[in-house]
Amino acid sequence: MSAGAKKRIMREYGECINDTPPGMKINFDEQNMTEWEILLDGPEQSVYSGGHFKLKISFPTEYPFKPPVVSFKTKIYHPNVSNDDKGSMCLGMLRPEEWKPPNKVVSVLRLVHSLLIEPNPDDAIEPSIANEFKENRKEFDKTAKDWVKRYAK
Amino acid sequence: MAELALEDEREEELTSLQAIYPELVVDSSSPFTASLDIRVTPVEPLRLHFPHPPDIQALSHLPPLHLKITLPEGYPSEKPPFLRLTTTPPWIPSSILENLEKECSLQWEEYGHCQVLFSYISYLQEAAECGFGLAHMCSEPFPVATRWKTTLVEYNTQMQREKFNMETFDCGICLEPKKGSACYRMRRCGHVFCIACLQDFYNNCITEGDMNGVKCLSPDCGKEKASLSSVRRTKDRLVSPKELLRIPLELPMVQRYVELKRKKKLESDKSTVWCPRKWCQGAARSKKYPKVTDITRIEESDTEPEDENRGEQILEKSTTPQGSTDLDRVAICEDCGYAFCRVCFAGWHGEFVRCWPRDASEISEEEQASMNYILAHTSPCPTCSVPCQKTHGCNHMSCFQCKTHFCYLCSSWLDPGNPYQHFNDPKKSCFERLWELEEGDEGSGQVQFDGIRGAEAAAQRAAEAAMALQVQEIEAAGQATQEH
Repeated sequence: MSAGAKKRIMREYGECINDTPPGMKINFDEQNMTEWEILLDGPEQSVYSGGHFKLKISFPTEYPFKPPVVSFKTKIYHPNVSNDDKGSMCLGMLRPEEWKPPNKVVSVLRLVHSLLIEPNPDDAIEPSIANEFKENRKEFDKTAKDWVKRYAK
Repeated sequence: MAELALEDEREEELTSLQAIYPELVVDSSSPFTASLDIRVTPVEPLRLHFPHPPDIQALSHLPPLHLKITLPEGYPSEKPPFLRLTTTPPWIPSSILENLEKECSLQWEEYGHCQVLFSYISYLQEAAECGFGLAHMCSEPFPVATRWKTTLVEYNTQMQREKFNMETFDCGICLEPKKGSACYRMRRCGHVFCIACLQDFYNNCITEGDMNGVKCLSPDCGKEKASLSSVRRTKDRLVSPKELLRIPLELPMVQRYVELKRKKKLESDKSTVWCPRKWCQGAARSKKYPKVTDITRIEESDTEPEDENRGEQILEKSTTPQGSTDLDRVAICEDCGYAFCRVCFAGWHGEFVRCWPRDASEISEEEQASMNYILAHTSPCPTCSVPCQKTHGCNHMSCFQCKTHFCYLCSSWLDPGNPYQHFNDPKKSCFERLWELEEGDEGSGQVQFDGIRGAEAAAQRAAEAAMALQVQEIEAAGQATQEH
């Protein structure tokens, strides 16, 4: 990773501390600044309320030319998070072809936050969950809350 | 004594003016003569009309108004200042300059014969700010002789550059404040980034062969335009080679950009004919994609939509007679100059020879091996048939060559607006299979799909094996009954 990229990550971290989206805490390790750990409280107005989620943000060597990779380390029932041990997210600005270098981590964090409040079933990574979200919202809410109790307490 | 006091008054006025306008120059040979350049930067760019050939330019920096003042004996009590206004080149008509000059005497009268220069200079500055009312004099753009055009336009560009150089910008990529002199403003959209970041990014794209990444880096760029005209929704414009050189990128890099872009177009066009000489593999000369010789000549016309229109027009012309007349068979390689037949791929045999498409057995072993591999392990893009193999990620593919969105599992076209619908439809065979082979085809080894072609071949083998097994069983059963 270039010196410029490291500098930018440091700078972004500085900005994030001052402007962390609600309910988030960033664990930053200066020895390994390309992997951030985010502790995230489920937004109160969402089904994830009361849950504590751990996220990982990894910066590729080519950052900021390539997007950071976001993954949920805590299992979550959500149409836009892959339901496997990776918990990957791949939508909007996180897609390689849509990422532009001036985008920042803080907007990625905001995207995650807003997706917890309002999932985007039309750009879903988990089609069956998306389907349930659209067709049978009650059932979706129930499972999501159940998962929060089981995995995110 | 009275004379001395008078002198003092003139000198005093010029000295205090010099304190306000340090650029005021007092003539060393005659102490009561001074000159001052008044900058002409109208608040609204001045629209000038150059008649031959007709052209309208909106300029925000114009050559300064040169004011030469001489304070005569008896100023200010008895005589008004004597002054002359000029511009180089003379782009302001002399009638207007004369009116401006007269204004000074009027002010002198109005103020009751006292020191008038400061208020007159302020008056000129205000007049310059509104473009001397030139734009309001007639509703049309203001006419100026064409011979001054180059000077005026160049002056404008130079002043804009100087102003830009003095400004400070926050580069959106390195997130650092940079002086304008270290930055570049994109021609089309006006977004500003630092030169070092632009060079890094574009060099990286071109080295990796990702031509579609060579566009303005601002996340909003193209989106504002998209809302205006929905037609050009996904067509971000690529940066023209000329602009890349201006940033500047190095010539060989820009050359590579132009060549790769052209190569991509050639490759995604199924009608392209390739040179049969193995060491060459150039494309046959075509009017559709002329070979680029001098990239500095490539103008800004490098926009995707225009490119496509151009292609279509030529295509219409060339599709009608193709293949019918014999002469159409001759092709000439643009790289090595080899003349060959586009049907049988032999050296050009003349137009009277009948020939047939070349047989597959004539392909070399190496070609055959790579062909076999491609046929056994890849999925083709449904638009341009480019073979692809997934290394990681989901099964929503976007073709590197022609930007088509398709499914890796079945090569179906996907709607770019809602590509995941395909994986959400329970009726489709790819239902809920978006993340299959996430580690890549041939990647983890636990599941091997080998592209749609490989999968189809495997299905075929399985069917044959099942058939063979069944035949064996029937035969065995037959033998068993015989043995009984």
